[in-house]
Amino acid sequence: MRIPTIILPLLVAATMFGGYALRGAFTQPTTNLVFEASPSATMTCTVKGVKCKGTANFFTQLYNGTSGIASIKTFAAEHKVVFDFDPALISKERIKEIMEAPIPLRDGTSRQIFFCESMD
Amino acid sequence: MLHSRHANRWLRYPALTLFLGLTVYLALGFGSRSFEAFCPFGGVESLWGLVRGGEFSCTLGPLNLSMLIGVLALALLARKAFCGWACPIGFLGELASRLTGLIWRRRPLPSPKVNGYLKLLRYPLLVVALYFTYKTGELILRGYDPFFLVFSGFGHGSLGLVSWIVLGVLVIGAFLVPMFFCRYLCPLGATFDPFSKLGLLKIVRNESTCNNCGACSRKCPHSLSPNSVITLRHHDCTLCLECVDASTVKNTLELKATL
Repeated sequence: MRIPTIILPLLVAATMFGGYALRGAFTQPTTNLVFEASPSATMTCTVKGVKCKGTANFFTQLYNGTSGIASIKTFAAEHKVVFDFDPALISKERIKEIMEAPIPLRDGTSRQIFFCESMD
Repeated sequence: MLHSRHANRWLRYPALTLFLGLTVYLALGFGSRSFEAFCPFGGVESLWGLVRGGEFSCTLGPLNLSMLIGVLALALLARKAFCGWACPIGFLGELASRLTGLIWRRRPLPSPKVNGYLKLLRYPLLVVALYFTYKTGELILRGYDPFFLVFSGFGHGSLGLVSWIVLGVLVIGAFLVPMFFCRYLCPLGATFDPFSKLGLLKIVRNESTCNNCGACSRKCPHSLSPNSVITLRHHDCTLCLECVDASTVKNTLELKATL
């Protein structure tokens, strides 16, 4: 069957758009760290600085030993972090404070690495 | 009956320019995602990490995987049309070869036999790239990947002098052989090959009107020979339709849906 050539750019556009639309079907995180706490609230943050598995691992380590955090999921490609936490033990503001605290560097100085751009 | 030249190129180049423009837009930091997030090869690179640990590797995310699915669906319908109609690196390679076509009176192309062997390079490269990516969880290909090097401006993951040498070789290669990177090295192209073989749309030659002038073969950027077969089933065909434009007799080469 003869096909008009205009079908090619339309097919390319349709499959590219279809691929883009399908992205929500895959929800696997970059890292998923679970702590010993019972979650009763969730907070989603957009964090500038969480951009790959390395930075995501570093980010989650900031909350090691912090009581009230039940789990942290990071989504590096979207710079997104999801906290499950117990609001009786830790507040959203405290969670933000921890991520935005300056990190000590090897040369003795310190620098803010992560910036919370939005939280809900 | 003669027909108008470049009719399909006038359709294809705006599409390619649009995809190149979108990539540059994202690479310049506009938009909410990195240009890398849209790369379908990232989907291939993420597969093992997802199977093994249910997590994405390095900077990869859901969009890489969903774009890969979109592109593979396209390959089942229209073979390597992604390469010929959307890939920004393929477009840059094509522009380079068109530019150098003005310089070369006769390109020193490798013989068909050598060309065939060189095309096999894509497969070991794909295996090595995936092996080390899966083993380390890092995108080790970045330092050698023209897509990343060009659009990130040698960003994080590039290998300094090594990356410059790699890019230099690819540029020189593009000046010698049309679609040098796509032909011999592209790991995404290697991934597509089995899907492309099954693709529904193909270039079909009408034997009764073909005068066997060979114009279509001379214009094929991948050195395929549409004039030597009835149905062009070669997995390297990107459906760029340069052969259809080059054909000297109207309706001799046509795009058809055939198994």
